[in-house]
Amino acid sequence: MPVVLYHPEYGAYAFDADHPFSPLRIEMVLDLLHEAGVPVELVAPESATQDELATVHDSAYLGAVADVSRSPADPRFEYGLGTQDNPMKAGMDLGAARIAGGTLTGARMIAEGKASKVLQMGGGLHHARAALASGFCLFNDLAIAIRDLTSRGLHVAYLDVDVHHGDGVQSIFFDDDHVLTLSLHESGEYLFPGSGWTHELGRGMGRGFKLNVPLEPFTEGDNYLEVLDMVAQPALEYFRPDVLVVQAGADAHFADPLADLLLTTQTYEALFRRILTYADRFSAGRLLLTLGGGYSLEATPRIWTILYLVLFGYPIFENLPAAWIERWRKELGPDPPRTLHDPPHPYETIPRREEINRHNRLMAQRLLDAVSMLWL
Amino acid sequence: MLVREIMHRNPITASPDLSLQDAYRLMNDRNIRHLPVLREGRLVGLVTDRDLRLATSSLATRPFPPSATVGEVMKSPVTTADPLDPVEVAAHTMRELKIGCMPVLEEDALVGIFTGIDLLDAMIRLTGVHRPSGRLEVSLADRPGELARLTGLLSERDVNIQSILSYPDESGNLRLVLRVASIETRPLAEALCKAGITIVWPQQRSCR
Repeated sequence: MPVVLYHPEYGAYAFDADHPFSPLRIEMVLDLLHEAGVPVELVAPESATQDELATVHDSAYLGAVADVSRSPADPRFEYGLGTQDNPMKAGMDLGAARIAGGTLTGARMIAEGKASKVLQMGGGLHHARAALASGFCLFNDLAIAIRDLTSRGLHVAYLDVDVHHGDGVQSIFFDDDHVLTLSLHESGEYLFPGSGWTHELGRGMGRGFKLNVPLEPFTEGDNYLEVLDMVAQPALEYFRPDVLVVQAGADAHFADPLADLLLTTQTYEALFRRILTYADRFSAGRLLLTLGGGYSLEATPRIWTILYLVLFGYPIFENLPAAWIERWRKELGPDPPRTLHDPPHPYETIPRREEINRHNRLMAQRLLDAVSMLWL
Repeated sequence: MLVREIMHRNPITASPDLSLQDAYRLMNDRNIRHLPVLREGRLVGLVTDRDLRLATSSLATRPFPPSATVGEVMKSPVTTADPLDPVEVAAHTMRELKIGCMPVLEEDALVGIFTGIDLLDAMIRLTGVHRPSGRLEVSLADRPGELARLTGLLSERDVNIQSILSYPDESGNLRLVLRVASIETRPLAEALCKAGITIVWPQQRSCR
């Protein structure tokens, strides 16, 4: 059985009430599973210690985070602390350390053979750098977990399906040949953080192990899955990871307020099934999943509920329980969803579809051409 | 951005007496395409890998032998730049004359050299993304105070601007591409739109 990690202290990693990175998203998932009668067993992880955080983050940065968490009125802009994206509140570091501890616990359970598949019900803070808070991310829980795995000699493949480029994880392992990163995201020409081009292939020993597919705005689900297969299958076949780590952000959904891709919940179900297949085929079933971005309170809880159901092999139920809709009326907005999946044809037809599809295929092909010289 | 910020200091040079054979070997060994030619410390010419290839080509009417000297085939006089020239002026000159490099002189001394590739590096620096940032593209009327209004609105929201690029668009407005230190460019664009700024990206149906 897959293990699900969660701790109420994850909720302490919260910004202002109207900040898009809301802990309510996870509460809504757990409540929806509960109302739908789906069995849920949660394992509570320990917090990451300062030493564990320091496997990835600079000590000066950790000091600054502690300072600003004690006195949020004094921002440290040089570390990205207290900015528009990363406003600081008292005690935030505790929530962030608990989340990092969760992802780290997942990695350790897999490395020690206590679990094969782990879902971390939080985390996925892929923008955090060694010494920079960025894009809502304070501690890079993914990098801390991956470092624990590589320190045991394991090879880790990291797949990032968040709509934003996984720049923090990529930069931390840029010269590391034990970590293959693959990020699919809306092109940096249009979206934060501006990086994630096909020419970012890694440095030194890491060259050829950092893969990026920048996608056009308004990319749709079928094309997304097509280019994912084009790259992920040969990459995983070549790299043969011991563990597959996945950042399962939900912000490539068409309803997301911060980005422009057009995935549906149906695309996500197919995507999550593919990820399970990848793990079974290429990493002996060893899979660590985290959450991530996803800023539509209407769509994100449905997507992660589907992730949970797919992971456990439970059937995808159709109608959302009335009690759940009622309880989250404010968050779900004036026209709340009635079904777990999106309705058919949920958005207007995209006139540029063929051009977009062609360009995305070209990006995947360009990437494969570039690495074919390095994968010998 | 000035020429002195992009030039290579201490360039590799040749004397006019150097044989074409040796000049060719020097370019290959150092992986360069341009050799300023100095006589008694003064720039007297420039020879490129193309000059060598054309001069010695069997297709030439009277090919030079490998033992001929650089002084016989070099181009002279040489178009040069000053360390304080703006890079866009240097780019303009290189484009006009269709030349691939410019030696840099201070008084009469050769102090550096840069090529078209260095100008590409400069362009990457000018347009590139150096810190995580979101993209905002707006169109402003070409009159005083418009940019100030835009940056004022960003400042009110504590949004740090990391780079600004601007160019005139077809309709005579000023097109501005800003990289801002925020993942939330859409809500930001909506707020700017409500304040009367014309947003080009991120696209939105309406801000009313």
